[in-house]
Amino acid sequence: MSIIPNMPKPWRKETKPHKFCPGCGHGLVLKALGEAIDELNIQDKIVFGCDIGCSLLSWDFFNVDTVQTHHGRTTPVMTGVKRARPDRICIAYMGDGGGYAIGSQHLVNAATRNEKITVILANNCNYGMTGGQMAPTTLPGMKTETSPYGRDIEETGYPTQGPEMVAAITQERAYVARGTVANVRQLKNYIKRALQTQMDNSGFSFVEALSGCPTNWSTNAKDTWAFIEETMPQYFKVGELKTPVPKEGISK
Amino acid sequence: MPTKIAYRMNKIDTKRALFTIFTGLCKGCGLCIQKCPANTLIWSDELGVYGTPAVQPKDAEGCTGCGMCSIVCPDCAITIERKKM
Repeated sequence: MSIIPNMPKPWRKETKPHKFCPGCGHGLVLKALGEAIDELNIQDKIVFGCDIGCSLLSWDFFNVDTVQTHHGRTTPVMTGVKRARPDRICIAYMGDGGGYAIGSQHLVNAATRNEKITVILANNCNYGMTGGQMAPTTLPGMKTETSPYGRDIEETGYPTQGPEMVAAITQERAYVARGTVANVRQLKNYIKRALQTQMDNSGFSFVEALSGCPTNWSTNAKDTWAFIEETMPQYFKVGELKTPVPKEGISK
Repeated sequence: MPTKIAYRMNKIDTKRALFTIFTGLCKGCGLCIQKCPANTLIWSDELGVYGTPAVQPKDAEGCTGCGMCSIVCPDCAITIERKKM
């Protein structure tokens, strides 16, 4: 038997290698998503919406129905699809720019209305596609193209903590978690529970994934892992913030 | 119908596992080298899809076949098949 690449089943093989940069965290987030879809066996029910920014490069990533929307408007488009076809499983995939900057109003309002969709957000602390400008999630003191002396919290405030915000405004039985690409298996379980929340018609589900951007951070592999594993979790705490069932009932 | 695509590959037979690196997928990011718990991966003479070096195990002894490199590869370029001992 010939050896084939160990890709999740929903991945579209003919578009690989994918278009993300070497070492990009999107590949790992989408790998976790692919494995979660695979394990729940829901590939034929998925509607996948991707945002503008680096995340739009996932438009031909999966063998599922995909729509690429206006910047920041992935959440409302997926809300519309879900309301028109409640039997579909809608996934909005975006970066931190699409979720916390231009699209924060939509994320907040969809969470308040408790829409039955799943939002997956890759947080890499900058705007990757446009060249690494400062984003709402840039860490204090972190150097980017538009904050060459480091982010000044006096001028620009503290980074957005999305899952904490969403967990505060969603209703009971919603699912909110923050995973990291340094632990793909845990991230897969979070995404799986988020999709399960939607399939149970339980409520809004939101997963943020701490992701890496070696191109714009200008880091080698070692520093990339150090930043994802040590620096980012100091501010962005990894874990489940809200679960539809009491935490004791969930197997880790 | 699923299409079958043959990527360029480099098979390396180590003592405990068959290490396959698909050089047609490897972009040479080096994340696997850092994550390898046995510290056995090095840059290879084979080139990846972007003309950057791919990876390979240093020798036949080091690789334990744990599959960590395969898990952290964003491009799914590494396949590990453990041998029955």
